[in-house]
Amino acid sequence: MLTLIDLTQSVIDGLLFGSTYALIGIGFTLIFGVMHKINLSYAATSVAAAYLSLVVVNIVPTPLVYIAAALAGGVLGWMIYLVCFRFLPINNPRSTLLSTVGMLLAIEEFISHVTHGMPLNYPAMFQDSNIELGNFFIRGDLLFVFALGCIAMVALIQLLKRTRLGLATRAVAQQPIAAQLCGMGIATTNVSTFVIAGLLGGTAGAMTGAAVGVLSPLLALPLTVKGLVVTVIGGLGSIPGAIVAGLIVGACENLFQFMRGVSERDIYVMLMLFVFLVFRPGGLFAAPGGRD
Amino acid sequence: MKHKKLNKNKFMTALLLVAATGLTQAQEKTVKIYGIGAKTGVVGIFGQQSEVAMQAAASIINKSGGVTLGDGTKAKLVIEYLDDRCNPEEGINALRRIASQPDAIVAVGPTCSNVAEPVFGILQKKTGDASDSGVQFPLYTDVAAKGGLAAMSQWAFRNVPSEATMYKSVFEWVKSLPGEYKTFWGGVEKDFAHSNATFNVIKTQAAANGLEVKGQSEWLLNDINFSNQVREIKRANADVVAISAHPFTTCGVLKEMARQNVKPKLLIGLTSSSSMETLNGCAQQAEGLLIPTSFAPVTEEAKKAAAAVQALNPKYNMDLHNAAAFENIFTLKEVIEKQKVMGRPDTVQADRQKIRDGLAGLKQTQGLLGKVGRTEDREAVKPYLFVQAKGGNWVVAHTPNQ
Amino acid sequence: MDFYLGLAQIIGIHTLLGLSAWCVLHTGQVSLAQGGFFAIGAYVAGMMTTIWHWPLLLALAMGAMVACAVAFVVGFPSLRIKGLMLVVATTAFSEIIRLFFFNLKYRVETEGGAVGPDGSLGFGGIRYLPTHGWSTFEVNVLIWALVAVVLLSLWALDRSRVGTLWRAVGEDELAAQSVGINLTTAKVSAFALGGAIAGLAGGVYAHYATHIEHGNFGILLSTFAIAYPILGGLSSLAGTLLAVVFIQGFLLEGLRFMGDWRSLLFGVLIVVVMLVRPNGLLTRPFKLSILHKGRAGAE
Repeated sequence: MLTLIDLTQSVIDGLLFGSTYALIGIGFTLIFGVMHKINLSYAATSVAAAYLSLVVVNIVPTPLVYIAAALAGGVLGWMIYLVCFRFLPINNPRSTLLSTVGMLLAIEEFISHVTHGMPLNYPAMFQDSNIELGNFFIRGDLLFVFALGCIAMVALIQLLKRTRLGLATRAVAQQPIAAQLCGMGIATTNVSTFVIAGLLGGTAGAMTGAAVGVLSPLLALPLTVKGLVVTVIGGLGSIPGAIVAGLIVGACENLFQFMRGVSERDIYVMLMLFVFLVFRPGGLFAAPGGRD
Repeated sequence: MKHKKLNKNKFMTALLLVAATGLTQAQEKTVKIYGIGAKTGVVGIFGQQSEVAMQAAASIINKSGGVTLGDGTKAKLVIEYLDDRCNPEEGINALRRIASQPDAIVAVGPTCSNVAEPVFGILQKKTGDASDSGVQFPLYTDVAAKGGLAAMSQWAFRNVPSEATMYKSVFEWVKSLPGEYKTFWGGVEKDFAHSNATFNVIKTQAAANGLEVKGQSEWLLNDINFSNQVREIKRANADVVAISAHPFTTCGVLKEMARQNVKPKLLIGLTSSSSMETLNGCAQQAEGLLIPTSFAPVTEEAKKAAAAVQALNPKYNMDLHNAAAFENIFTLKEVIEKQKVMGRPDTVQADRQKIRDGLAGLKQTQGLLGKVGRTEDREAVKPYLFVQAKGGNWVVAHTPNQ
Repeated sequence: MDFYLGLAQIIGIHTLLGLSAWCVLHTGQVSLAQGGFFAIGAYVAGMMTTIWHWPLLLALAMGAMVACAVAFVVGFPSLRIKGLMLVVATTAFSEIIRLFFFNLKYRVETEGGAVGPDGSLGFGGIRYLPTHGWSTFEVNVLIWALVAVVLLSLWALDRSRVGTLWRAVGEDELAAQSVGINLTTAKVSAFALGGAIAGLAGGVYAHYATHIEHGNFGILLSTFAIAYPILGGLSSLAGTLLAVVFIQGFLLEGLRFMGDWRSLLFGVLIVVVMLVRPNGLLTRPFKLSILHKGRAGAE
């Protein structure tokens, strides 16, 4: 009986954490969907945005710190587009792969340089309010992170479905040349995609910081890997896919850890990825107008 | 008359010039001590602090005249620190680079255990073994603390505390405390060699001193979710909980423990977490964390050394890691003088051998907290005490008999 | 002198790693699995010389063969996966290998103490080279002989029919299939060969460093592996060598005098190189693309 409770608790905790993975996954998949290129520095910029929001941590109340992180993420997203994507040839995905790797290394190193590698405290909200439902224990702050993540995702979907910008983004993703013929500026659309993904990323960075309690440059690389796994399982270019996949990966990760311990946990997460790739290579929700 | 005076002036000028050149030559004589360690990257703080401590020690020695070389002349100590970024290949490159310099007679470092192990591995195993083509260069380590590394080569010497000794003492003290300490639960960062190895020591010593080891929780060094592990800790409800992990995950676990309301009677931490990093990240949740350490500003020498480091660069302080680097410079000064190291480019290999032999022959060295013993396999027996996190600072909890 | 010889050793090892990625990249597959094969070669060769006292060359060959076999097996399922998904799948594979070695514990008692992989504590004591009195110069001769053999073989392969087939598959799979090229053979053979070369490089690395652990074989290593051929330009083998010398020799060791700025510049310089020479350092035409009003991202 105890084990079943533990199992369910693991899944619940994992699900709540999974919302942060979902946010990162959405960012990757958004950029891939529109530009068909991968931005490997995305998780690192998200963490950097969280660090930048620490500049105002003693001046403003906590919710504004999160907003600061989101805004910083947007600015950083625009910067990444300018430096790593704008001037590189469109038909050469490998060059942007490498330039974003360079950016990832540079950002990680910059953070370590400025903070001397020391972990920094990150404010969380609802830290002391934990909900106890019988034998189950739900962390208040994780629930808040989850809720905020959901709000961000809903806002994004509304943006994509209801606004002209969203329309342009979807059009460029499906048929860039036809979109240009209709008068949509590709450069503008690309910039806005990066900025939107950046806003999301900044939120994700802040949420991860709040969930863990401390920020450290160690966060960048694992979040990158998890984000990529989520993107692929969810289906490249599919936002609902990334959301569902993020929650699944979060829940399964904790489940595997509970069942087989921490040394083997990641092996099973990777194997789960392979299972998806073999049986459902398009991902959970194959993207519309699915290209390679 | 004028002639004579002119000649006298010329003579005096010439004499003064010769004397001046001689003086400047003597002032320019230097002996370099190199350092290897991580100065950038996530663990860059270790190398940065070591470098500052070594420079502080060198400037104290230089103020009182410098070191006396084998030919009686005095030389100033100069420190040059190479960054290995906690990367084995760069550590090996750094060692080879240093070993090929004609002014390199010894190096302090490395700071990362996963660099120290390969670097010691490429050293000559037994001095004088002509069939072994390993590098013949003495290394005197300040920070890399994974157990038993100096035994890998007779050119490797370390000034790091023996965690087996310290934790044994911790648990002996726990046994003597009033109140009931019967059970033990451990938490360990599994994928880092140092925390993993030390945890085995902690577990053994806990059991050897009468605590019932009920189990352990594990995590990886960049994990962010500790809810499962802390639930295990909570359920075990052990009196003593030990966390063998570095500051990032230690803070993560402590914060989760605060959330789930887990309050063991005694919390014990990993030696290298007794630094500002932990207090920066989670001073509130770390309250009461007890850690054995080989440095605290409790003696006159320790306080002066800490002040010297702060004076050199207020961004840095002194902790157990760079205190060892500080001590190493003074020990090396002794060895250089006792072994009559010549410090010339043509005597470089002989000097290295002298330093190695000198370090090997030491029975004890002078530490900031007292005398430091030296063992047969080139490790140190350092005086230690226990510190506890109180109100955002590390405060001395107990100084055991040693 | 010893320092330059030591530096040349690590450049040689990384050149082999880069060449292994070159093979795979040539057929259009971006694979982040080279680090995993490197790890396999390292552990296998290390265990051969340390535990079973095999001679060095045989141990290296064994490491390469085991890595090749694993690559062969992995190559088949990777046929169905393209593009970004392959990147992620191969990353996942590399991580699985790393975690396997993280858990691997195989200790054998000898007179000098226990040897063998010890889980997360790593695998130390791989002292074949110093114990047998190999000088830095001799080790270099060995490493660069291996590099030369691999370079020449790949060059010959590139100029032969196989090379043409690989390049065809790399440029456009559909077109290649339509002229009757067997995609499976091309891709799997490239994958297997790449795995073998990476395994060879890993075996040499284990003996160079004398101590290996799972942390050495993370994603960053695989990323470096593909960075070399991409930076150097896929159309030229010499480009990979140039890229390794640039990164290991210039960026990592040459910039030491810059102190703390070295690490910061590292990532920045990679971005800069990609901006000015996105198709690689040694790819024709030798013009600076950013000077050509590159509104390419806005097309």
